Amino acid sequence: DTWKYAFEEAITDVQGVFATKFKEELEKNTDHEVQLYPYGTLGESADIMEQAQAGILQFVDQSPGFTGSLIPEAQVFFVPYLLPSDTKELNSFFRNSKAINENFKDLYAQQNLELLTMFPEGEVVMTTKEEVRSPSDLDEVKFRVMTNPLLVESYKAFGATPTPLPWGEVYGGLQTNIIQGQENPLFFVDSTKMYEVTDVITYAGHNNFTTAVMANKEFYDGLSDEDKKAIQAATDAAFEYILDYQKGLSEQAIENIKKAKPDMKVVVLSEEERAPFKAAAATVEEKFIEMTGDSGKAILEQMKADLKAAMK
Amino acid sequence: MAVKIATIMIVLLLAGFPMMVPLLLGAFYGFYDLFNGFGKMEFMVQQMLAGIRPASLIAVPMFILAAEIMTRGQSANRLIDLVMKFIGHIKGGLAVSTATACTLFGAVSGSTQATVVAVGSPLRPRMLEAGYKDSFVLALIINASDIAFLIPPSIGMIIYGVISSTSISELFIAGVGPGLLLLVCFSTYSIVYATIKGVPTEPKATWKERWMSARKAIWPLGFPVIIVGGIYGGIFSPTEAAAACVLYALILEIIVFKSLKMADIYSIAKSTGLITAVVFILVGAGAAFSWVISFANIPQEILSSVGIDDMGPKGVLAVISIAFFIGCMFVDPIVVILVLVPIFVPVVEAVNLDPVLVGTIITLQVAIGSATPPFGCDIFTAIAVFRRPYMDVIRGIFPFTVILLFVSAALIFFPQIALFLRDLAFR
Amino acid sequence: MASSEGEKKQYRSTLPGFLGTLDTFISRFEALILAGGVILMAANTVINVVCRFIFQYSIFFTEELNRILIILITFAGIGYAARYGRHIRMSAIFDILSPRLRKILMIAIAIITAITMFALCYFSIGYIIKVASSGRILPSLQIPVFTIFLWVPVGFFVTGIQYALTAVKNITEKDIYLSTHVLEGYDDDELEV
Ligand code: NA
Ligand code: NA
Repeated sequence: DTWKYAFEEAITDVQGVFATKFKEELEKNTDHEVQLYPYGTLGESADIMEQAQAGILQFVDQSPGFTGSLIPEAQVFFVPYLLPSDTKELNSFFRNSKAINENFKDLYAQQNLELLTMFPEGEVVMTTKEEVRSPSDLDEVKFRVMTNPLLVESYKAFGATPTPLPWGEVYGGLQTNIIQGQENPLFFVDSTKMYEVTDVITYAGHNNFTTAVMANKEFYDGLSDEDKKAIQAATDAAFEYILDYQKGLSEQAIENIKKAKPDMKVVVLSEEERAPFKAAAATVEEKFIEMTGDSGKAILEQMKADLKAAMK
Repeated sequence: MAVKIATIMIVLLLAGFPMMVPLLLGAFYGFYDLFNGFGKMEFMVQQMLAGIRPASLIAVPMFILAAEIMTRGQSANRLIDLVMKFIGHIKGGLAVSTATACTLFGAVSGSTQATVVAVGSPLRPRMLEAGYKDSFVLALIINASDIAFLIPPSIGMIIYGVISSTSISELFIAGVGPGLLLLVCFSTYSIVYATIKGVPTEPKATWKERWMSARKAIWPLGFPVIIVGGIYGGIFSPTEAAAACVLYALILEIIVFKSLKMADIYSIAKSTGLITAVVFILVGAGAAFSWVISFANIPQEILSSVGIDDMGPKGVLAVISIAFFIGCMFVDPIVVILVLVPIFVPVVEAVNLDPVLVGTIITLQVAIGSATPPFGCDIFTAIAVFRRPYMDVIRGIFPFTVILLFVSAALIFFPQIALFLRDLAFR
Repeated sequence: MASSEGEKKQYRSTLPGFLGTLDTFISRFEALILAGGVILMAANTVINVVCRFIFQYSIFFTEELNRILIILITFAGIGYAARYGRHIRMSAIFDILSPRLRKILMIAIAIITAITMFALCYFSIGYIIKVASSGRILPSLQIPVFTIFLWVPVGFFVTGIQYALTAVKNITEKDIYLSTHVLEGYDDDELEV
């Protein structure tokens, strides 16, 4: 059969690389064909999600943050300083997390989606016009965030003026100084040329952008065991591939950026400098629990337990 | 399937159906065919709604509203009077000013549809008064507005830059050359047209008259300040600048000039809403239609049958130009960029073309496509705003299309038109 | 482009009795959504700028509210445009046909357009049910997404009715009608909208 797989980024970005690997593996080991649909070709994130739920698409990649309007608990990935910035710990968490493999699997299943995997896309960095060393440096900085209550809350806590702006207006907004900062994983800062209109990249270690790959549940349940196995195998292969691919990715992105703009400043905050940001983030966790209730609390606790296990 | 859909659409279009129907039934057929029945039709509605949702479209009703208030009040006329005092005695002066105004306004506002309304509404009656034929006036407004795609900030270029990983700053600079070349070509044509058709000129104004009209225009001169200063000064996004213009226009017309009453505002807002709806339903129908095309992989199939992989750089550029030209004839330019660019990126890399040049050529084609029949957002906007029949609106477009195609051919053979400024700034 | 003169001649439905009253009421309501929606959109956008600059505070729901308004405006507007024959069409070939052919073709156009609109009305209800059952909410306003689509089927339905009535009008009367109130040809300025 021909299966259709849509994702939220360009084919050369992380989600696209994952999808391409998945396609390769699946086509190598089965007679099925996979067609890939990058960002925008079938609509926005919410549109492709609906199409996957209805079975028009067999596979979809949507970041849990965007799934928040459907599954509020998925916004847990927006809670700052929850995920470790150490790659080994992070990878171990994504490989073994009970929260992902059990709790979230159930939540996605209720939305007619079979959660295949979640994987990190890279550390989220801030790009700004001025250096950011402490929350006071974000004072009066209009910081573009996605329209999500937790992100808005985070940057409020960090001292900035969170300014939700549609993605299409971000580049122009930075250029004309309507906004003075934005956040994204580093590879995205590179591929979307955000560095052309900002001057400082700051690693505050507050998050790692996470994304999830799902299949339509009815479609998946209706497959032969052999096909299911092939899909699992392709997912695992692409998962390992993407973790490996990410190793050099940040360095590569920094190198590209430095080459295109030599005076771009890169600041990695020290533990002491991160402390006030971490302290501010506590209110965001409260907000998350307030928004998602007991179920959100349970997931948060499970994730913390998983993370503890991952640190060993 | 592609052939069947095209046939349905062309037949219905020529039969005189409301234009949304050919698009909708084309999409309808596509959904029916793809999913073997009516089972997934609700996604046609999803895509129609997705089509009218982009935030950048909000600028359109805002600028329409501001323009209508200015035009029905006095602001627009005072501004035009000022310009006329300086250029009224020059052959084709009014046409050249209109083209320039469209270019500037479009460049800043980033919306070609808004430009058609904001510049076209006040200037079209003046041009008709001055003796230009309506077919020429409409075509000039539509085509000059589309220069905006090439002059920064340009949404089309931002999206191309993001998808193809090309420097947006370089794209912006590369667009300026071809954009200005188009303005020069349109202006030359306007002067030739005015001379041949014997469009009369006004007597040259004295400096005293000029001073008088400048004084009358002092308040309305706030509009360019709000738009240019506001956007480049980092105070507003284009959409917000449009809304600020609405507020300023209301203050001028109601309080300062006392030329409009609150009741007039209601009827102006109503007519703005109507124009918006008539155009946006077509944008939505176009989005549903393009979803079908994209989902069915029709562009990939057509391109692989063309044999693009075996072509040299010039051949690839020609195919890209044609593909975007045709694509934009039928659907919204942004959608065309989203669908086609990923397909072309590997080919462009394979033949070692400069992605900035490709981006400029694509943006130019997008501009041409939006002003070229049968489907074109700016044509629709002109029909809705000026209330002229379809054929009247497109009658004068041909010479402009020739100029545009000439410039795009020039760009393929003399890439320096685009790359000269870029190399100066970045290399 | 328009004078206030036309305001004197307000829309009157051609439907009999209660249906006519209802139709007239819907027309007024559409006009209110059109005008109100546009004005609200401008106010919403301006207020956000003012807040950002004076109070250093961005209204987080401005963008969502504008998206809601644009849907309302578009779907209230298509019905309104249908009443006044304002939908864009290419009539080059249509115009050179004989009156008899034009009349037949116009009836066919009105009927097919009406069916298309009714079908979309039905499918949009299906879409709303789908979105409602998913429980999706707007990220900033935290209201269910389906509520912002509720006017969509109404807009399609009203438009469909207008085209159906146009077909009836063309069948029962001698002249050729573009809509229930507008004769074909573009000299429709006597009824300003
Ligand atoms: Na522009
Ligand atoms: Na076109």
